[in-house]
Amino acid sequence: MSLRPAQGGDPDSRSFPARARQAWTIARIELRRAFFAKRGLWVYALALLPALIFFGHGVDVKTDRARLVRRGVTDPALMNSIQKGDALGDVKARVGKPAEEYSGSRIRRVRKRGVSGTTTHVIEPAVDARFVRLNISRPTYSGDQVARIYEFEVYGADGRQNLALGRPATGSAPCSPDQGPEKAVNGSAGGGKTDRWCAEHWPYFLQVDLGAAHVVKRFVVKHASAGGESEDSDTRDFNIQVSTDGKTFTTAATSAGASFVDERTEYRTLTYFDGRRVARLQFVDGTLDSIGISPLLNFEEDRMIFAGIFQYFYLRLAIFFGCLGMFMYLFSGEMSSRTLHYWFLAPAPREVLLAGKYAAGLIASAAIFSGGALLAFIAMIWPHDAVEVQAYWNAGGMTHAFWYAAAAVLGCVGYGSVFLAVGLYVRNPIIPAAVLLAWEGISGILPYVLQKIGILYYLQSLCPVPAPMDNGAPMLIRLLAAPAAPASRPAAILGLLCLSALVLWIASRAVRSMEISYGAEA
Amino acid sequence: MIAPAVIFNEVSKFYGEVLGVNRVTLNIPPGITSLVGPNGSGKTTLMNLMTGLIHPDHGHILMRGISPRDPEALMRITGYATQYDTAPRWATGFSFITTGLLLFGYGRAEAEEKAWKALERLSLTDAANRKVAGYSKGMRQRVRLAQAIAHDPELLVLDEPLNGLDPLVRAETIAMFRTWASEGKHVIISSHVLQEVDLISDQVVLIANGMIIAEGTIRTVREEIQEHPSQYLIRCRDASDVASRLFSEDHVSEIRLNDDRMGLLVMTRDREQFARALGRIALDGHRIDGVVPADENVDALYEYLIGGE
Repeated sequence: MSLRPAQGGDPDSRSFPARARQAWTIARIELRRAFFAKRGLWVYALALLPALIFFGHGVDVKTDRARLVRRGVTDPALMNSIQKGDALGDVKARVGKPAEEYSGSRIRRVRKRGVSGTTTHVIEPAVDARFVRLNISRPTYSGDQVARIYEFEVYGADGRQNLALGRPATGSAPCSPDQGPEKAVNGSAGGGKTDRWCAEHWPYFLQVDLGAAHVVKRFVVKHASAGGESEDSDTRDFNIQVSTDGKTFTTAATSAGASFVDERTEYRTLTYFDGRRVARLQFVDGTLDSIGISPLLNFEEDRMIFAGIFQYFYLRLAIFFGCLGMFMYLFSGEMSSRTLHYWFLAPAPREVLLAGKYAAGLIASAAIFSGGALLAFIAMIWPHDAVEVQAYWNAGGMTHAFWYAAAAVLGCVGYGSVFLAVGLYVRNPIIPAAVLLAWEGISGILPYVLQKIGILYYLQSLCPVPAPMDNGAPMLIRLLAAPAAPASRPAAILGLLCLSALVLWIASRAVRSMEISYGAEA
Repeated sequence: MIAPAVIFNEVSKFYGEVLGVNRVTLNIPPGITSLVGPNGSGKTTLMNLMTGLIHPDHGHILMRGISPRDPEALMRITGYATQYDTAPRWATGFSFITTGLLLFGYGRAEAEEKAWKALERLSLTDAANRKVAGYSKGMRQRVRLAQAIAHDPELLVLDEPLNGLDPLVRAETIAMFRTWASEGKHVIISSHVLQEVDLISDQVVLIANGMIIAEGTIRTVREEIQEHPSQYLIRCRDASDVASRLFSEDHVSEIRLNDDRMGLLVMTRDREQFARALGRIALDGHRIDGVVPADENVDALYEYLIGGE
């Protein structure tokens, strides 16, 4: 038996260039799947989300600026001269027509103040009455369910003699024994709380027996405020009934409370724009109450926001899950679609197949995620002032853009290799994803040696702007959010590539012994 | 120089606890060889072992001198048409085969030419530019066959290649097998119907439950099975009459009557003659309620393979 010479095709099939060509052929075929897989849709969504956010912000700011400019630009010095307490007319006269002016008022129904706590009810025509009764349906304005009457007076034909004075009075149970119904007919209202009739249980009523039938022409009721209490405790709704026999009562007077008034507050907001800053002036009843001046766009702040989004969202989540989606299924996806055997039947070492598939995934993910990062970067810069952008560009803005893209690409190199290897050992992505995410998360509090076994560790130092971190954040959060990273970029890149190569070597061992297993074997 | 052979040496493969094939030893010379056995007997497992899609747990395999662990060398000389009825979603018949050929290192023009030739040989040129996913079952069978032969391999492993082919293509395909065999190539095909491959095979390998039952030329295998005496249990009313009729037949070597006189156990050396004799007895008015093979193994297998499904 002898080894036959290879048939057809490449005469020197085991040479490195020949294998590289094979890997490239595989990669070219796989690229289609990598870019256009159905499950790849959300990879694009993850990659483009930051760009969309910044683009939306840019559009928002641009339309704002256009609107403000159209209405007139204010001199910055004039804008600075505005002070709290200024009158609306003065400000308008001095600073000029505002870019925006909104006014509004708030109306609140309040009880008319200054009405005395005494109400007089004239009965026209006069009635005959021996029994007089005060029924209270809403005891106070404040909602307090306690009825308080300091004096209840009944006047007859001559209009001077209080027929109720000292007469026997009954009523609902008093709040305390010294605040009984007799206190409402004792002729005084100035003796404090013990000079009143007080009741706190339904039905609230106070009845006086005048001793004999009299012609009654007028009632006078002294409520809480007449005795020195708050106006809000005055009786709100009540009526007065009369009877000659103490059995049949007819209503003689009804009071639906005191009058209400609308309290009106005028608000006015003026907006001035000096080409850069926006001043929002809030006037209350014609007087400047608050001033808010802030720049319409803050380039430095936007760059910090970008750094934050890039490190906390893009590197940690978007690229992580994007690579999971693209690399984990390179082999297992074909196992479940029953097409993997075509690759295994190709005249290529399994390592070449692995290289081809990895290359395809890497090209697609790197293009998608570095593209997404650059798009977001451009969208972030886009609405800003050309001069500011030029200055930033001269001060290394281009390098920033490059390193953001490079960090995205190297993120794909690292996470891609990891998920390709994981996909060869595990089919369900949830558990390995959770474990890896947790591992990367706690990396900052791990011993230094273990930190190096993580992709994020290397990616951190590639980012051109350190991620913003609130100094007030708890120590643990700060540690978790910002694991220590190698000092230099070359070290980081080298470390990342070494780690990825190691992981790919492990993956190649798995692919070498991989078997086709489509389920039902015959 | 010894002719290059396909050699299995004490090969076993388990799927977890389940046995795939057990201690298979084979030496297959060039020519047409049929692996015949019922569904689930281990034919596909053997073929996957030959082509390195799975690896043996014990023993070793050499395919014309090459280990299946070296796909780079083996696949250059091997074409495998699997039974997996799937193709990548993107593939048209033509691009499917061309892509495979590109991996062999052929230039695009050469790959396309070879792909076209292979499609021509299986009468698929009309459908060449349609998606494989939209093909009929027979066409997908043919496109897999075309892919297996496109690079002109010297070792063909074809899993049930005649399934789903219409009679004309089937005849052409069989003619093709013969040509390759005459060129000193290995053509290893599988089937669960012995009659299907009976006429075309230079040799057959009978397989059941993951074990090789018989191996050799078709004549040797048949004799091996023919000579194996088999037993039948017959249920009938007039058992003693039937017994006396059967006893006069040459091929019947032994008869035992049941105690209830309602059945008998017959041992015969020729099951075909036995079947004919029983037919005559029944025609003469003896009522026979049932005939059951009493000896399952080889016999049942043979019945199954001869009778088809």
